[in-house]
Amino acid sequence: MIELINVSKTYSNGIDVLCNVNLNIGKEEFVFIVGPSGAGKTTLMRLLYRGENPSSGKVIVDRVNVAELDAEQVPYLRRNIGVVFQDYKLLPKRTVFENVAFALRVTGAPRSTIRRKVMQSLELVGMLRRASAFPDELSGGEKQRACIARAIVNNPPILLADEPTGNLDPTTSWDIIQLLEKINKRNTTVLVATHNKSIVDDMKRRVVALENGRIVRDQQLGGYNV
Amino acid sequence: MFSNIEFFIVEAFRSFKRGALMSLVAVGTITVSLVLFGIFLLLVINLGNVVGDVSSRLDVVAYVDKDISLKEAGALQIELAKLQGVTKVRYISNDESWKEFRKDFGAKLDLNEVVRYNPLPHSFMLTVRTPELLSTVADEVVKNDLVVEASYSDKMVAKIKSLVDAVRIGGAALVILISIATLLIVVNTIRLTVLARETDISIMKLVGATNTFVKFPFIIEGIIIGVIGGVSAFLILKLAYDAVAMRLALALPFLPIMTDQGLLLVVYVVMIFGGTALGMLGAYISVSKVLKQKF
Ligand SMILES: Nc1ncnc2c1ncn2[C@@H]1O[C@H](COP(=O)(O)OP(=O)(O)OP(=O)(O)O)[C@@H](O)[C@H]1O
Ligand SMILES: [Mg+2]
Repeated sequence: MIELINVSKTYSNGIDVLCNVNLNIGKEEFVFIVGPSGAGKTTLMRLLYRGENPSSGKVIVDRVNVAELDAEQVPYLRRNIGVVFQDYKLLPKRTVFENVAFALRVTGAPRSTIRRKVMQSLELVGMLRRASAFPDELSGGEKQRACIARAIVNNPPILLADEPTGNLDPTTSWDIIQLLEKINKRNTTVLVATHNKSIVDDMKRRVVALENGRIVRDQQLGGYNV
Repeated sequence: MFSNIEFFIVEAFRSFKRGALMSLVAVGTITVSLVLFGIFLLLVINLGNVVGDVSSRLDVVAYVDKDISLKEAGALQIELAKLQGVTKVRYISNDESWKEFRKDFGAKLDLNEVVRYNPLPHSFMLTVRTPELLSTVADEVVKNDLVVEASYSDKMVAKIKSLVDAVRIGGAALVILISIATLLIVVNTIRLTVLARETDISIMKLVGATNTFVKFPFIIEGIIIGVIGGVSAFLILKLAYDAVAMRLALALPFLPIMTDQGLLLVVYVVMIFGGTALGMLGAYISVSKVLKQKF
């Protein structure tokens, strides 16, 4: 599903953020990406949805080298990759429903389809009740659920979550991770970048550890540390 | 894409309202520029009227011997028509001149009482292409033995014409300059409304919106701004022109002021469409620029 081949990324300020990264993630896998701050976790995820272009190497998503995609093709790539952020990135002047519907509107879906799919998605994340609330009326956990609902409303085969529990208390974090696992079981490849040791240790999933832009460990049923 | 039209329009109005101040600045800019534009357009058209008036006086009158025969006159007409710069030669018999003369002055006194016979000579009216040719042609014409005298309206004609030409060209240049300046101001104003929605745009792009999708609401917003600006400018200009032009026409009836409603309508329609086009183009350019630079 996802394959990185000799990927390096140097930002214009000359910092080597990723060095020769090789990584292969299969369909429907659930993978944690861990590593100290500045290791390159966010950068790696951004490469997958063409938030950045690699300096060299191939970034293959669903058999397509994303690095070589025309700019006009990028939106279609992004409709196949749901993204969840630590800071949620919800539109503040719109309700939860409208925020989730937004991701479908851009695809030109008819109104009835939008309504049905948004409802399904909100139901899945347990936010149907809060559909007409505005983001600043929501708790952190609810905002993250809304963000996840938006990420999956298109039924993307891939879901990327960059520190989805970064701003949440332990119980809520655990709820969110279980939600991501539930989504993974619905045939979605899930990548989670996190600093949350207890979650990684308890979940016992594949762990890819980055340090200074290199993969230093890639372990099935791994923990946060070796 | 078309299933989204309603969404785009709602979005555009929403954005217009949210950035009300910015939108008003853009509307105001378009209005002011279009009013200036319209003033110059009307000025140029009116000056064109003056020129039209003046051009009709690009004539040299050649007075000929009173006893000229019809045959000689015919030959002379052909001769005169061959002169450089002459576009038309018309024979005016002394009877015709006399009639004309009496029509002009007859009301004031009964000429037939004073003059028993027609004192005027036959003449040819030569129309020349440009005012500069008036004196050369006149000089050429008198060389002919049959021509007694040649005259043309005084040098003011040439002066007015070249002045009017300068104003015309200057006016056209100004109109173009004003349009470009307006476009630049509109681009920069709408750019601010686009930048104010940078987060929205980044999220739209993140969930897979195409650039066209992102641009659409802004372009509709630009059209709304343009239409409001254009209509305001039209109303201001129409009220002003009607007041000024009608008053001028009454006070100075000899001024060829344009009151042709059809032509005025064209000017107003140009303004409204110009405003719409400015708003639309301005929005398109600014949103494209922001998308290129930031996303
Ligand atoms: N747009 C950018 N321009 C220049 N340098 C950048 C840019 N984005 C990130 N970096 C640098 O790249 C390095 C890796 O950043 P990245 O965000 O990928 O790390 P991370 O592993 O996600 O860290 P964290 O755990 O703190 O989120 C950092 O040193 C950062 O300063
Ligand atoms: Mg990060």
